[in-house]
Amino acid sequence: MTDVHLFIENFLAACDFDDPPENATLQSVLKELPRWDSLAMLSVIVMFDMEYGKTIDGGHLKAAVTIGDLFRLLEG
Amino acid sequence: MASATLRDVRFAGMATCVPRRVVSNLLDCRPQQRAERERLVRNIGIEFRRLANPWQCFSDLAYIAAEALLEKLQWAREEVDALIVVTQSPDYLIPATACILQDRLRLRTGVIAFDVNLGCSGYPFGINVLGSLIATGGVRKGLLLVGDRCASLEDPIFSDAGTATALEFSPGAPPMFFDLNTDGSGYKAIMLPAGGGRDPFNARHLLPVREDENGRWHYPDELILDGTEVLAFSTRRVPPAVEAILAYAGAAKEEVDWFVFHQANRMINETIRRKLALPEEKVPSTLRDFGNSSGASLPVTITARLREALSTAGKKRLLLSGFGVGLSWGNCLVTLENAVFPELLET
Repeated sequence: MTDVHLFIENFLAACDFDDPPENATLQSVLKELPRWDSLAMLSVIVMFDMEYGKTIDGGHLKAAVTIGDLFRLLEG
Repeated sequence: MASATLRDVRFAGMATCVPRRVVSNLLDCRPQQRAERERLVRNIGIEFRRLANPWQCFSDLAYIAAEALLEKLQWAREEVDALIVVTQSPDYLIPATACILQDRLRLRTGVIAFDVNLGCSGYPFGINVLGSLIATGGVRKGLLLVGDRCASLEDPIFSDAGTATALEFSPGAPPMFFDLNTDGSGYKAIMLPAGGGRDPFNARHLLPVREDENGRWHYPDELILDGTEVLAFSTRRVPPAVEAILAYAGAAKEEVDWFVFHQANRMINETIRRKLALPEEKVPSTLRDFGNSSGASLPVTITARLREALSTAGKKRLLLSGFGVGLSWGNCLVTLENAVFPELLET
């Protein structure tokens, strides 16, 4: 089972936010993060591929509302 | 075509010309963009780019590269039988830029000259097209001119370059191996939607269609690039294609001296490298200094990073990998010996 805290840590590292949120949870809304932009999306695709061996695309990211929605992609 | 082999074709040399003007992604932007640009440079790995003057075309850069290469090779102009241009920034929509360059380079009228409309993937395809003309007879010496004028001050990705590569008929030359692929279902991922037959230019195209987060308005005649689709395509398609050409050629990774990939951005290139478990020293990069110069990025990287090593005695084996617009991706495994490489040219 994938560790939630490690996933969030990897997610924040991948996004490389200038001012990363300190209390991000699975319920955190992506659009409310400091800079959830196309660059962050690219990095998250790479993170899924390299850290979890999971291929996702732009459609998955655009459909996701929260960090939890991304986390659940690992189960699909 | 999946895999193919060309025999009796020798890689004779390569020259690369870039604009002298260097643009910094960190300094040549609005002050309020600085923090965003620092994050961008950290992630895409592109700090400097080369920007042609407004009056310069791709063909002006390629012409300089071709002249330098012909001189270094000491080829007589009447010896050149073919001139293949791979570009998506032709001088005009009609005629082919290759025809204009045939005259400008003072090649004989008996030359085969035509354009190939490919971008980032184009270099291996161009080698295959010219190499095939040579391998099947008729053409003994040929020039391949690859590149684009695709840079702008605002866009942080693209860089300008024009390159020339020389191939010649040489019985017994080491075989060239190819793996070339196309998936047009993804054509919308990188496209210039206006100005072609589907949507000819009209007054409507003079109006901007959207404003980005930096307050810049975008017009219909600008390239559309779906970053997430391109990244997913590149990292999914390229590694297995590299493995496929190695298997086809019966070559182990250890037997390849350098793997030269199209310089897309650091995220894409690093993912490909890591998936293939290639050591950094075998994968030269020019992303930081020259950005993404479309189809020219392979020659730019070879000239800027490998020129001295390739100029020493002995055979060197290179795997050349291009991928992008089309969508298309292609690999070429070549063995070089005594090829000529003029110094990087600037204009």
